[in-house]
Amino acid sequence: MIPIRCLSCGKVVSAYFDEYQKRVQDGEDSKKVLDDLGLKRYCCRRMLIAHVEVW
Amino acid sequence: MEIEIKNQDDQELVFTIEGADVSLVNALRRIATVEVPTLAIETVQFTRNDARIFDEALAHRLGLVPIITDLEVVIPQEECDCEDYCSRCSVSFTLKGKGPKTLYSGDLKSSDPQIKPVLDTIPLVKLREGEELELEAIAQLGTGSQHAKWQPTTSCAYKHYPQITIDLDKCEACGLCADQCPRSVYRLDEKENKIEVVDLENCSMCNTCSKDCPNQAITVEGLRDKFIFRIESDGSFPPKEILSLACDLLSLKADTILDFL
Ligand SMILES: [Zn+2]
Repeated sequence: MIPIRCLSCGKVVSAYFDEYQKRVQDGEDSKKVLDDLGLKRYCCRRMLIAHVEVW
Repeated sequence: MEIEIKNQDDQELVFTIEGADVSLVNALRRIATVEVPTLAIETVQFTRNDARIFDEALAHRLGLVPIITDLEVVIPQEECDCEDYCSRCSVSFTLKGKGPKTLYSGDLKSSDPQIKPVLDTIPLVKLREGEELELEAIAQLGTGSQHAKWQPTTSCAYKHYPQITIDLDKCEACGLCADQCPRSVYRLDEKENKIEVVDLENCSMCNTCSKDCPNQAITVEGLRDKFIFRIESDGSFPPKEILSLACDLLSLKADTILDFL
């Protein structure tokens, strides 16, 4: 499961993961989705980009 | 001291502060991050956990969920006369579910309707077919100096206000600084054949421009007595309230020194 918060700055990134995953699967550009979700810092953005849901 | 608010919403407060020094601004930053108390889940009692996540790991996840905090409603445990926790110094949440299902922070049922998780969409645990989970989580007040889960701020930082001086006698308006700046601070005005500073406050004082300038025409400095301060809240308080609580705590500390003298 995705960590609740960004490992570097502590922002709660997990709350946006479901929406991020769904919108990217539907073909939206992940840059645009991250901007929409208000994740500005690269530490938070990599949390969503790099996460692989294994279970 | 002059303060100007640059941007304010429910998550973030950005302001400039002029006529202050590092010791004051940094004291506020430190107090805002590690001394302003917030609520976070501290004790979890499991009645049942069939999920593939360990009790400890789930308790840790629960602890990191930010909770809307009202300091009028809950008192710190140290000031309470109970031993562990009671209704005066804690808020209780219950979480219950049966798979197949993902439980979210919104599924946490609070004993106090006003105190609840900031966000409802934080995935906490996944339950497969037939797996059940039941627990009670106790949230208490604490500070960031005890554990990072009690920090009310996420990004809380300041920088010196940047000052950029372009020596017009040396500048040839080649536009290299505008190309190289990672923060898009400059713009080359081709009509006037002049370099303009268009986004001064975004400057991170990395000095890429002054190093790259072939004529050494640019000087980048930070003003000593002016700062740009940013407080981003995790949602437990509005950012302005974090700042005002930090100021209260700082003046309380100053009073303690005066009493001592
Ligand atoms: Zn981050």
